[in-house]
Amino acid sequence: MAEDFNSSLLRTGAERLALLGKHAQALMQGYIGEQVDESAFSDAALKKLLAARILWRPDEDSGLKLSHRVRDLIAEMLSDARRRHVNADVAETLELLRNLVMTWREAQQRGDYLLAEQQQVRLTQEVDDLNSRFADAIDSLWQRLNSDFGFVSSLNDKIRENERAQKQISRLLDGLDLIDFDELITLVGGSGPLRKLLVSQLQNQVSAHYSNLREVQSRLLQLMARFRQQQSRNLLVNGMVGFLREHPRFRPGNYAQRTEVPTLFNQAAGLVPAAAAALDRDRDADLLAELLQHLPRRDLQAENLLVAAPAQWSAEAASVAARQQQLKEDVEAYYLQVVDAGQPLSALDYLQSSGLAWDAEIWLFQVIAEYQGLPARQQQQFRIWQDESPTSPWNQVRLIHDVQLQLAPVAQVAS
Amino acid sequence: MTSLMPYGPLLERLLAGQFVCAESDEEGFRQLQDDSLRDSINDYLRPLNRRLASNPDASVWFLAWQELTAEAREQLSSQLAQTWNSLLPLLEWMQLVQEALGRDAVLTAGDILKPAEFVLRSEDNHSLRERLNRLAADRFFNSQSEDLGNQVKQIFRRLKEQGYLVQPHADRQYYRVTGKIDYLLDLVRFIRDEENLPIEDQPQQQEALL
Repeated sequence: MAEDFNSSLLRTGAERLALLGKHAQALMQGYIGEQVDESAFSDAALKKLLAARILWRPDEDSGLKLSHRVRDLIAEMLSDARRRHVNADVAETLELLRNLVMTWREAQQRGDYLLAEQQQVRLTQEVDDLNSRFADAIDSLWQRLNSDFGFVSSLNDKIRENERAQKQISRLLDGLDLIDFDELITLVGGSGPLRKLLVSQLQNQVSAHYSNLREVQSRLLQLMARFRQQQSRNLLVNGMVGFLREHPRFRPGNYAQRTEVPTLFNQAAGLVPAAAAALDRDRDADLLAELLQHLPRRDLQAENLLVAAPAQWSAEAASVAARQQQLKEDVEAYYLQVVDAGQPLSALDYLQSSGLAWDAEIWLFQVIAEYQGLPARQQQQFRIWQDESPTSPWNQVRLIHDVQLQLAPVAQVAS
Repeated sequence: MTSLMPYGPLLERLLAGQFVCAESDEEGFRQLQDDSLRDSINDYLRPLNRRLASNPDASVWFLAWQELTAEAREQLSSQLAQTWNSLLPLLEWMQLVQEALGRDAVLTAGDILKPAEFVLRSEDNHSLRERLNRLAADRFFNSQSEDLGNQVKQIFRRLKEQGYLVQPHADRQYYRVTGKIDYLLDLVRFIRDEENLPIEDQPQQQEALL
């Protein structure tokens, strides 16, 4: 009897499943659109589809619709985040499990082992279904999370979808809470196989679902915080742009003049670190010489020089030139004094005694430059001694402290 | 006292007035997470009348004046005026990017931007093209060109100059948004709070659905 029932179930089920494949195109149109196109089916096919509750008709006047079971099946198969449903109804399943255990126990007591075995298979199926529902729900939640809710386009929609997902998690967690293992232990009594199925195995599965749901929940909350932050930034930017357009003359206070300048506005001016080539370290000399060699050559064209010639004389430049001319004249006076004196004359002594205001360094520089600027023959008529010393015992750069100048004796000039 | 020898590049960048964030200088930003290093840097900066400062989230670091001398205040006043003048063009640019690229959030540190994508999206969109045209001509971006490509190039150049974008590879045309954009929004939030501007950044009470 039961054998017959099972074989007819098998046959009809397989036939009806095949209907899904046979009319796949038209049914998918129904999944996407509002209703299924009736003209796609023959009368006989339509009758079968309605009998299989793949399609249904809400009332006489309305069109054909896909049944919600088939819609759910397709949504699950496609991982269609917009359409997947989360079934958190655990109470109903628990009720069913209790009944099945009762029937099993009665069958056992009667010695109807065939029925008892069937009941055990059904119990296994129900527990598997329960697990599969949680696994699917958790998978659907992770899918949505990992796509950043990319299946909806606006931030507001994402926030709403995130809220919906969080409510689903609460319902799933509430559902898991309904499973009372103390009750199940009492229910299965001393039966080993049932104890394994409804206690040890289910306990492991439930605890895995718990930790999965907690994890996805905390990730959803993090994502929500990010969405909210983005939303707040959007509102801030749009709000400020709107305000500034409406109030083009608005100026904020000068926070820089407050006793306490807000940190955000206290941004120090940048410093430009600069350095120049230095020759005071022997080990750098080679490198600098090499750099010097690789400097691009300055090829001044004649026309460039012409262009450069008519320089603008500012008042400042004019005064510098006048001072330079004065310095040159004072140095010439010193040379005349040397010629008159007939003996070595210190340049610095002359500077001091004549009451000139030139800086000693500039003075010495000009005296030496004047000497070097003389034609060779005239240079020979003077003797020059530079009073110099190294900068320091470790530094061979020589500093000039003073210059002695003397008109060379006639004899020496001749030689 | 941490030796500052290994931190030359970081110090130089800070002293030059740059903002250091995870995007503009990952290494330097990581180094700045160390309290004792920050103390040492502050000790070093004291004679230069500067100190390390950050935005409220500490996502960007920069140098602030240690003592607010009259000169420092003078400099800050003129800087504030510049910031104020650049605010609207910068915010408008952020809106434009969001719309042109169809993003659901305003720019945030770490986002990648490609000038070419920007040109592509604006080319055939009259309203975007017009807004971009107006924005490019703003004194802040200061583009003289009529050509879309050049305008976008100039906008990106200015943003890079101002530290809002970095170009990871000089020969590749993509840019990364730096943490200075967070700083800009912090400024906006501050001004709003300080001046009591009627700008909401929290959504109105969720509509009572169902």
